[in-house]
Amino acid sequence: MAEPHRAGAVERPGWGSLRRAGPLYTGSVTFRDRLLATLRAVQPILEVRGVLVAGSEVPNLLETNAATTLVISQDVDLAIPVAVHEEVKARLGQITRLAPSSDEPSVWVPVPEAAELIEVNFIGLDPGIVEPMETYEKQDDKLPLMVFGPLSLLTAGAIIEIDGLRIPLPQPAGLALEKLVSDRTGEKGDRDLLVVAGLLASMKPADLDRLERAYRGLPVELRHQVRSNLSILSLLEARPGMPDPRPQRPIIDSLTRRLEAG
Amino acid sequence: MTIADRVKAVQARARIRRWEYRQRNLAHGAWGRFRSALVHAREAYAIDEATAAMLLAEGFTSDDRGRGLEPPRGLIWITAARAARLADARPLVLRLDAELLAARNLALVAFS
Repeated sequence: MAEPHRAGAVERPGWGSLRRAGPLYTGSVTFRDRLLATLRAVQPILEVRGVLVAGSEVPNLLETNAATTLVISQDVDLAIPVAVHEEVKARLGQITRLAPSSDEPSVWVPVPEAAELIEVNFIGLDPGIVEPMETYEKQDDKLPLMVFGPLSLLTAGAIIEIDGLRIPLPQPAGLALEKLVSDRTGEKGDRDLLVVAGLLASMKPADLDRLERAYRGLPVELRHQVRSNLSILSLLEARPGMPDPRPQRPIIDSLTRRLEAG
Repeated sequence: MTIADRVKAVQARARIRRWEYRQRNLAHGAWGRFRSALVHAREAYAIDEATAAMLLAEGFTSDDRGRGLEPPRGLIWITAARAARLADARPLVLRLDAELLAARNLALVAFS
């Protein structure tokens, strides 16, 4: 019997040595393979203008050649602008390897013949709201959505292409800010903040400028939330398989100073 | 959990966050204020009362953002050069662990 495949160590500035802690899959199927196969399965949706891959898989995809070394949950989020909801619905018939969950139809799960895929979460993006309090349910028989206020902080960034698969990603600044304004607790909350540490490690000065500009447009309470979460991040311990926040402390210090000013 | 349940959960957390924001300058905000000081510290040292008094007498700046905790924590910003001359001061890792929280007085060196 073949040994479970383990991805090798990946060196990336600021991320430490990341080694997938898991197991993970028999044969030679890595989590990267599963993630990319899942995105290929929803390619018709990814081709809709404005749709973005969101959530914690983005830093995985931003790694060199989408190395996918972070230890996170086995799902991927698709941000669906409410303006293209109907267009996305019209393409759902082209998705054959995933099907709506009986528990929650905005979550699509692999069909039995495609067990190597991971879950896909459809989440609504409404540029008219930003507050978590404004989060609402867009009811729909075919594809209901939770329209999450802070998701509007995402703006279109790079489109990466892997073996012909085009994956639209958000700007790192918006993704970091979205994670910093979101109220999260416990292990999931800490891991989301560590994802921000990884994003900070890869950000260029222009990205930090973009983050600051978007921050200035937030309501005062959310600005406070951003600074509070940055302070939590700066004091977090490193965790296996996640970006190490300690080398990012100088960046967090200077970014916090910028955000505190004015 | 249905979408409606998730929306309610998000909104409930948002209400808690608003409540916490209103308390940012009150007792409940003590931890946030403490963290907001530590985020700017490159180094931290546990110091005793006598050393704290000496550093203040030398003109280093006191920071009251540790005063909201019980017992209150004294924070003093010093230079890296002065930190190098601290006698019997224990360097601490910058994280909210038992060792850092056991220190009643902290000498902090800023990043810049």
